[in-house]
Amino acid sequence: MAETHSADVHPPYLYPDYKSTRLRAPAQPLVRVAPSPLEAAGPVFPKHFVSESEADLTTWGRSAPLGEKMVLVGRLLDEDGRPVRRALIEVWQANASGKYPHPVDDHDAPLDPNFLGKGQVLTDDEGRYRIVTVKPGAYPWQNHPFGWRPAHIHFSLFGNAYAQRLITQMFFPGDPLLAIDPIFQSVPEAGRKLLIADLDLEQGIEGVALGYRWDMVLRGPRATPMGV
Amino acid sequence: MPKPTPSQTVGPFFARDLLWKDGGIVLFPGGGDRITLTGCVFDGNGAPIYDALFETWQADPSGKFPSGHDGARPYGYGRVSTDTEGHYAIETVKPGSFKGPGGETYAPQISVAIFARGLLKALHTRVFLAPIELIKDDPLARAIGDLERLRTLVATRDPNDPKIYRWDARLRGAGEAVFIEF
Repeated sequence: MAETHSADVHPPYLYPDYKSTRLRAPAQPLVRVAPSPLEAAGPVFPKHFVSESEADLTTWGRSAPLGEKMVLVGRLLDEDGRPVRRALIEVWQANASGKYPHPVDDHDAPLDPNFLGKGQVLTDDEGRYRIVTVKPGAYPWQNHPFGWRPAHIHFSLFGNAYAQRLITQMFFPGDPLLAIDPIFQSVPEAGRKLLIADLDLEQGIEGVALGYRWDMVLRGPRATPMGV
Repeated sequence: MPKPTPSQTVGPFFARDLLWKDGGIVLFPGGGDRITLTGCVFDGNGAPIYDALFETWQADPSGKFPSGHDGARPYGYGRVSTDTEGHYAIETVKPGSFKGPGGETYAPQISVAIFARGLLKALHTRVFLAPIELIKDDPLARAIGDLERLRTLVATRDPNDPKIYRWDARLRGAGEAVFIEF
């Protein structure tokens, strides 16, 4: 009997080391159903929903933001390896000091008046995307003593079907904080490397920006529970 | 086959980035009576979850799936965050029932996804906008079986205002809503 792929890589709901899961994770098992035909369709975003400038997070202010400039490229694919075309990708992140411009962020680090840390892009006909930003900083959090979140960029993905919807985080290669981050560690070992970008210098801008590559894979739009 | 990208939490800092102006007003090309789906999201202690992202996707009153947009935003899709009391509200049309590929009938329902700090994966479910005795043949109702559990997914009509449907989502413990995986 085929095993589900998703069970191999996705974190559980309850992961006690990440304290906020303890009161928010369902206690009952989930009910497994095939996506309804409604859920096999999905929201259609107009082309002008995204303007080209929103893929470059470094041009939001009057001058360049502080930090290490980077270019991130990659492809959005489904589990059959097919490109997911013209799909919305939303990103948000801390600034280079590890600070979000958000009222509940109490980290005592400076805001950057030239960095909002928010962007969006549509994939092209080959499922490719490209964003320009600065590398986010790590920041402390209250989950456990001396806890620090590793640098990460948040991703919100739509795919072409509602059932493909995914929110996740991308991490950076070689970050020693990955080993102590319960959010990253909640992912089963087989899935962890899928959340880490590769350094890909030639995708950067010579003398200006580092290059990284990160591909994302969504479940097939017509996928049904396997082994059923 | 490539493995799917693992899910991670939306975290506490999404509000400025993922919320849209009027994201709680769901658009459709046709008319139809407007209703409001509203309620609260609670944790395992019954405390309100004040930092959840609440998304909806649904058919129109004739059971037709939205496909397209009004030039600015997609049809059929709602997105709000809960407030300090855990409260959300989606203004929309009442969805019609629709057929599945095997001829099965899906009762009037709104597909809901909840994301939040502490949720490492989205919580998906379907909220029914019809009395419980009229939804028993729905594929999800059949999969759940147990009536008490099914009741956690039935929105109740406000006795004073029939345009208001109330649905509270208890994520854990007593009255825990049924959540689904595809």
